Amino acid sequence: MALTELNYEFKPETPKTIKDEWSHIGVVASGDLEVLIEKENALKGKIKIHILTTVVGFDDVWETVVKKFIDKTGLSGVKVSINDNAATPAVVIRRLQQAVDNGGGLQ
Amino acid sequence: MKINWEDLQGKSFYQATARERAYGMVDKDTFKEFLGPRDKMTSPHLLILGEAVEFDDGITVGVGKIKKHPVFVISQEGKFVGGALGEVNGAKMAYTMKLALKTYEKMKEKYGSVPDDRKPICIVSFDSGGVRLHEANAGLLMHSESMETIWELQNKVPYIAITGSTIGAYGAQGFVCLSADVVIANDFGRIGLTGPEVIQQEVGKDEFDASDRALIWRTMGARSKYILGDVDYLIKDTIGTFRDTIVNIVDEPMSKISKTRKVGSPQLVEENLEVVKLAAEKKIKDSKDLWKIYGNENVDQMPEMPQEKFLSVVKRRPRRI
Repeated sequence: MALTELNYEFKPETPKTIKDEWSHIGVVASGDLEVLIEKENALKGKIKIHILTTVVGFDDVWETVVKKFIDKTGLSGVKVSINDNAATPAVVIRRLQQAVDNGGGLQ
Repeated sequence: MKINWEDLQGKSFYQATARERAYGMVDKDTFKEFLGPRDKMTSPHLLILGEAVEFDDGITVGVGKIKKHPVFVISQEGKFVGGALGEVNGAKMAYTMKLALKTYEKMKEKYGSVPDDRKPICIVSFDSGGVRLHEANAGLLMHSESMETIWELQNKVPYIAITGSTIGAYGAQGFVCLSADVVIANDFGRIGLTGPEVIQQEVGKDEFDASDRALIWRTMGARSKYILGDVDYLIKDTIGTFRDTIVNIVDEPMSKISKTRKVGSPQLVEENLEVVKLAAEKKIKDSKDLWKIYGNENVDQMPEMPQEKFLSVVKRRPRRI
């Protein structure tokens, strides 16, 4: 059984970006995930998300959760990479927020 | 990205992630990570098997400074696949050790000798169940490479092992841990070869009950290991205390640091075998009986009493070498 790979690209209405060059949070424990945010100049106003997860059949949930977070925060200009080991949506939102905070917050 | 060093000093070592432990153990803001998350070097084997991967493959390695010493830190993450050693994280571990050796040799070549207050140090914070079964041979290969390097580090670079995280040091990593010059542990430290569940599975519940947590802790836990002499420092559970203990050790001459080695010479092997002989002769059924032989009273209370009290009453196995 292979890992599920998901790729999304969004364009938030009020784009903001993180202060630092990059940010990382989390450990891929059972029911947890890691988030890596890297600034990319080519992605001005846009955001690219790459997810690698062990869970099969929850693609729509992933899209909803991630899109909701980006619409709320306006995170853009970055590439987000996620390694997931069956985390629940609440944990995903929490880790995304922590990763943004760890990168010096939005500006 | 920034990790606040001051916050880490008071943080529980047991609860800290591998990266926090690595950053907190060296001097403020001196840690430089090799192959960190941004390098995205994940395990190719786990990917094929459909298992979750991690960007740092469950280990944080790098170099920092303590006073004037270059300090090579290897910190394992027990929450990712049980901290088990695979091809990528194993290579990161073995080659960081090799780098410590290389640094020593370069210093010696350039300056003629390596002064005690500048010698390189190698610290490993264990949190691993052994070799990662998904990539068995590749993991074993890296285990043997790190063992070989430890042999070469002997009498050159102090190798300090730390156990005090969720998993402890089990399986192949139990060997690697006890090959150290100095072993430091908090009350959560565990060292063993075969884990409790596996022992129960192999020899039966009557011999070793894996659901009896008190039995596990008094057999494999840091306090028992401290009495038997496998653990040299039993300390409080904050990253700061681990750091302070290391800071106090590093300036000592190599000959003094290596006095607490547990393996490495025929005499030491003989001394270790005496414990086995003693246990067989006296028909030891529980580690408490062994503690009694070394002169400890109140053995029933010893696993539960506060650490200060334990350290004030404990009597340890005398060492001849």
